[in-house]
Amino acid sequence: MDTIPILQVEDVQQLDAILNDFLQKSEANLAVVIDKGGTVISQQGDFNIADTTILAALAAGSFAATKELARRIGEIEFSALYHQGKNAHIFMTSIDENNILITIFGEQTTVGLVRFYTVNATSQLAQLLAKLRARSKEEGFQFEAEDIEEVGKIFT
Amino acid sequence: MSIINYANKEIQFKIVYYGPALCGKTTNLTYIHSQVTPDNRGDMVSLATAADRTLFFDFLPLHAVVIKGFKTKFQLYTVPGQVIYNATRQLVLRSVDGIVFCADSQWDKMEENVESFRNMEENLAKMNINLDEIPYVLQYNKRDMPNVAPVNYLEYLLNNRKVKVQSFEGCATTGENVFSTLNSISRLLLYKFTKESYSPDKRSKTTVLMSTVR
Repeated sequence: MDTIPILQVEDVQQLDAILNDFLQKSEANLAVVIDKGGTVISQQGDFNIADTTILAALAAGSFAATKELARRIGEIEFSALYHQGKNAHIFMTSIDENNILITIFGEQTTVGLVRFYTVNATSQLAQLLAKLRARSKEEGFQFEAEDIEEVGKIFT
Repeated sequence: MSIINYANKEIQFKIVYYGPALCGKTTNLTYIHSQVTPDNRGDMVSLATAADRTLFFDFLPLHAVVIKGFKTKFQLYTVPGQVIYNATRQLVLRSVDGIVFCADSQWDKMEENVESFRNMEENLAKMNINLDEIPYVLQYNKRDMPNVAPVNYLEYLLNNRKVKVQSFEGCATTGENVFSTLNSISRLLLYKFTKESYSPDKRSKTTVLMSTVR
């Protein structure tokens, strides 16, 4: 039977705590955890900077697109990508084989500092996400068929 | 990948529009974008060439109905149809929950339709997904063109698997059956996550249910 992986309230709190700690130490503006398919799992920081849903889709695409480039120089994939702008910059780093941490930061900090604190944050996130993945094999969310019939058209 | 967040009461799903080059995948998304109120959608992102051909993908995030207190969010993607961009199609298919296969109804596009459908099956197989395990619907697009093949023939070519899926005659430029297609795939993938197990037989039953909402 197919089930939808669940993020419980406590899971989200733990993810948010890791991201908040990371943002505080690195002085970055926004941190988003996504899966490599482009789905947002957790986000913290200043949401006015960007639409995180779109950011996630593009970041997952960008990450995947460089995989071939990595392969050409004998790597499986790049574990981190950095896009430097004039005032805002993006640092993306692989958490594990399924997930990515996107960090947006400005002139108040440096890529070195962000990269330094990313190491600890991704390690904590990897542990937590592995635990959630293992759990999702045992429990997941399911609808009742009546729930879906009740709503009629999904888009009107 | 579908995921349900109990903290913000949200469920996310990913739908991919697949099909040969110039069959109208992007036009489907453009029409949906034009019809959904800004409150219920994000910006549409198109990574296209200067000639408006999809280079990487198009992306449109949508908010739909609330089910059992959970807001449903659907993320629509298109793949680039041109044959050479197969690596990109594989990337876009990652973590897909449901597929709309968009075919070009014109007679001279039949070979490309069949080739693209086979390519979709191959790319799914590389991710260990069998087409029987994933919700998909067919849209026979460009029905307004003068040289279209009859629907029976398209059915014979593309809907000839053991379990037939729902198919729609569409015209994405005018919006004909664009939302019927979207509603059908959305419901189908929601049914996948119901307590009764999902099997080809079950899908057949679901398909009948779908026909009531066309």
